[in-house]
Amino acid sequence: MRWKWLVYHVFVVAFAFIMMYPLIWLVMSSFKESSQIFITAKSLIPETFTFQNYVQGWQGIGGHTFATFIGNSLFVVILSTIGAVFASALIAFGFGRLKFAGKAIWFAIMMGSIMLPTDVVLIPQYIIFAKLGWLNSFTPIILPHFFGFPFFIFLMVQFIRTLPIELDEAATIDGCGKFKLFYRIILPLIAPAMATAAIFSFYWRWEELLGPVLYLNSPGKYTVSMALKMFLDAETSSNWGAMFAMSAFTLLPVIAVFFMFQKYIVEGISTSGLKG
Amino acid sequence: MKRLLMIILACTLVFALAACGGNNGPSPAANNGGSNASNNQGDGGQGNGTGEQEPDPVTLRMAWWGGQPRHDYTLKVIEMYEAANPHVNIEAEYASWDDYWQKLAPQAAANEMPDIIQMDLSYLTQYAEKGQLEDLTSYLGEQIDVTNISENAISGGKLDEAIYGFNLGVNTIQFQYNPELLKSAAGVDAIDPNWTWDDYAELSKQAAANGVYFDTGVKEDVFFHYYLRSHGHSLYHPTEPKLGYEDDALFVDFFGRLAANVQAGGTPTPDIRNQLAGNIEDDPVVKGEAIGIFQWTNQFVAVNNLAPAELEMQPLPGPDAEEGLYLKPSMFFSVSKNSEHKDEAAQFISFFVNDVEANKLINGDRGVPVSSAVKEALKDSLSPEQAKIFDFIAWAENNSSPLSPPDPLGSAGVMDALKSWVEKLDFGNVTAEEAAAGFRADAEKALERAQN
Amino acid sequence: MHTETIKKRVPRFGSGRRLRSQLTLKDHLTGYAFISPFVLGFLMFTLIPIGASFYLSFTDYDLFTTPAWVGLDNFTEMFTGDQRYWNSVKVTFIYVFAGVPLRLAFALFIAMMLNNASKLIGVYRTTFYLPSIIGGSVAVAIMWRNLFGNEGAVNAILTTMGLEPVGWFADPLAALWMLIFLSVWQFGSSMLIFLAGLKNIPQSYYEAANVDGANAVQRFFKITLPLLSPIILFNAVMQTIAAFQTFVPAYIISKGEGTPMDGTLLYSLYLFRQAFVFFEMGYAAAMAWVILVAIAIITALLFLSSRYWVHYESKGG
Repeated sequence: MRWKWLVYHVFVVAFAFIMMYPLIWLVMSSFKESSQIFITAKSLIPETFTFQNYVQGWQGIGGHTFATFIGNSLFVVILSTIGAVFASALIAFGFGRLKFAGKAIWFAIMMGSIMLPTDVVLIPQYIIFAKLGWLNSFTPIILPHFFGFPFFIFLMVQFIRTLPIELDEAATIDGCGKFKLFYRIILPLIAPAMATAAIFSFYWRWEELLGPVLYLNSPGKYTVSMALKMFLDAETSSNWGAMFAMSAFTLLPVIAVFFMFQKYIVEGISTSGLKG
Repeated sequence: MKRLLMIILACTLVFALAACGGNNGPSPAANNGGSNASNNQGDGGQGNGTGEQEPDPVTLRMAWWGGQPRHDYTLKVIEMYEAANPHVNIEAEYASWDDYWQKLAPQAAANEMPDIIQMDLSYLTQYAEKGQLEDLTSYLGEQIDVTNISENAISGGKLDEAIYGFNLGVNTIQFQYNPELLKSAAGVDAIDPNWTWDDYAELSKQAAANGVYFDTGVKEDVFFHYYLRSHGHSLYHPTEPKLGYEDDALFVDFFGRLAANVQAGGTPTPDIRNQLAGNIEDDPVVKGEAIGIFQWTNQFVAVNNLAPAELEMQPLPGPDAEEGLYLKPSMFFSVSKNSEHKDEAAQFISFFVNDVEANKLINGDRGVPVSSAVKEALKDSLSPEQAKIFDFIAWAENNSSPLSPPDPLGSAGVMDALKSWVEKLDFGNVTAEEAAAGFRADAEKALERAQN
Repeated sequence: MHTETIKKRVPRFGSGRRLRSQLTLKDHLTGYAFISPFVLGFLMFTLIPIGASFYLSFTDYDLFTTPAWVGLDNFTEMFTGDQRYWNSVKVTFIYVFAGVPLRLAFALFIAMMLNNASKLIGVYRTTFYLPSIIGGSVAVAIMWRNLFGNEGAVNAILTTMGLEPVGWFADPLAALWMLIFLSVWQFGSSMLIFLAGLKNIPQSYYEAANVDGANAVQRFFKITLPLLSPIILFNAVMQTIAAFQTFVPAYIISKGEGTPMDGTLLYSLYLFRQAFVFFEMGYAAAMAWVILVAIAIITALLFLSSRYWVHYESKGG
């Protein structure tokens, strides 16, 4: 048994290293001198370690330090994640557990709405948001998430459908209304799916470029993903060092969130003893 | 517990809506130029002689693309202008090249463009012909001071007899090379200023024999255009939606030569070029793997700073280089049609191109200044690299021919077609004749299509 | 028998269904109350843009001037005149049908490997998810180009294995495979969903199977696969939709141009170029609606086929 354990861990670690290599390369490059990054791209270890990239990178652009950009990103990401996860759970319960007229049609509409490439709805949507006076504000980036996010809705529907229907029946006999059934019984049981959705949402919103690029005009409102691009300029010279350093640094919140939420992806109903 | 969660959720939602709602309207100013504006209120009281009565406060939105240094100095120039014109508040909206154009198109569609827009020659026609830009002709000599600016420089932004963009500085194309590598790999001390395409091929062969690239490939549309001009044609027909040359032998000759250089090893193959990141830091010249690079003059400083040796400048190969060469506006400031403060926007442009102190900050980053007074005043403070650029532009002024009209509608499709056919040719998948015919068909289709 | 234990849990399709007529008004209202956020959001933010894009697909629209009605011109040009369009269709189908199964298989493999009660499991999971976190960054593009470059690690490995090095940037198909590998490498989101699904399979099933003496392979095919099937369906559907719309990797690896020789010109990249580089928004809208129909058909087929291979514990459908 012991050697099996060892083989498992050696295999996992070795495999993890291969998967991680590009990330390690990114972090290592962030300690290289900016001008050396491309010249020494093939070697992992910097000839001289420098923290200058982090110092310079943190200064940001045009008088806005990275604290501003990180603050903006956190504001956008946290609000839209909360909105997307809870609204999606609510909607998913409706689709996954309830019967009502027109359900199939609405489900098809929901799936259909994510099949249309965004490029072509972007302009009409932009004009609507412009008419509402929402340009150069966070509203058009955050607000839509409070109306559910199809990917998460579908995800949670699928999870709800793996839950035994006996649960509902037992709850109904106990006199639970639908809403009570939802938040007393279903919501705790789909915690793994919600944690998964929260991780995705956090990361997707964190790296999202299109929304911020379209709707945020003042650099003081820019998010991290936009700010990172501003270090680069194909025409003249770019500050690659600062870009790498801040890319690496701004991964930390995402990793932290992942680490925090992944532990909710644990045994679901099997341990709750409801199966019996 | 769960109910509490729901309440919190509900509250967050309401809060989010309220917080977001509060963010529109005038708040961008608070976030951005706000601190500058309040600083300037102090100076404001003293007035500055622009008028008897206090002008109404004006907020201008100004957008540009670029890298970090450009953002930094442009913000300083804006501060300077606001100090001199306390009633004007300028909101800066700057972004990277990609993001900039991605933003501008929806803004134009929604009539929400900034008042002052940095414009590139390749987009000028699209935005101008589709009615997004103000004709600046009536502002010349009024809001925009042109006493020190030549007619030639101004006409760079001309399209159908209207000025849609004000030229901020000029550029031209050249060959920038590493003289040490030239000597060791190609065996010559300097390149003959009157070199020809045959000389170029010869040097390429030399370099390849020594395991070094002579150059890193050319931007197809720019250099083919140059070549066509040197033969009395141009890439685009000046008035009709078709190519500016009739004889495909020109294509065959030019790209056939280049493909031969690629096959000989003097120019990297397209797959090597595809592997590069496409920025100056990753360029073979910087890594000492190539002798030189064909590119614009305003890119010289950046590549020279990174290159292993001090680079030299060299005109493009001839014959008839003078007919081929032209001075190009490196970028423009345009005023958007939807701007409510066009006069004020024009005044800022005037300041930007004419003010000596401002141009000491700008320092030729947007091309060699168009104002002769500014050029004169900058002379003493230039770095050696910049002095080289200014000198080259001064030489080019006397050794070039007038600029062709801006690229017509549909030029983006033509460039795609050109790239793709030249790529096939460089890989040896098609003959030069096939590529020439294929390009003509695709290009004319793209131009036709953009007409209606 | 363990298989019967499972069978009992998997309800027969349609059993215990209430007829629609038996639903009360209250049932309908409750249902709509729950999905109301989606319905409202759709009506407010999505319906008009979708309708507009449908209209635009029959027009010539350059973003700046009024759209001009051209009937079916965009569609006829697309289907009969535009070779680049068909090339992008071909490239995209290869990308989807090679990439999605590979990615799912890989994600499931890792998820099962990490579905393990080790103390380090949190760290392992984070590690394997990391590649997906740096997904769209420029750094990945640079890294990836280095790995697949002529003198890069991948060709070095091929050479030591006695194989011919591949011109990843010269051959359009090889370049596409480079993109597919990138998508497989970023398996994190599917892996996480599989992991959550695996956690939902009651341990008691495995225990029962162990008592019956089932081996690992039998357990996988008799318990894991059927009970995970709703999640597999989810991942298959979402990954297929996402793969059809892949844009960022192609954009960053080919610098937005789909090189070499349009080998990485995925559908959405070509659509983007039509819309924002060529300013042919009408044509782009037409392209969007064609791909919508294609994705919808494939998704519908997946859903239809799911009757035969997906097992739901509940009968909510």
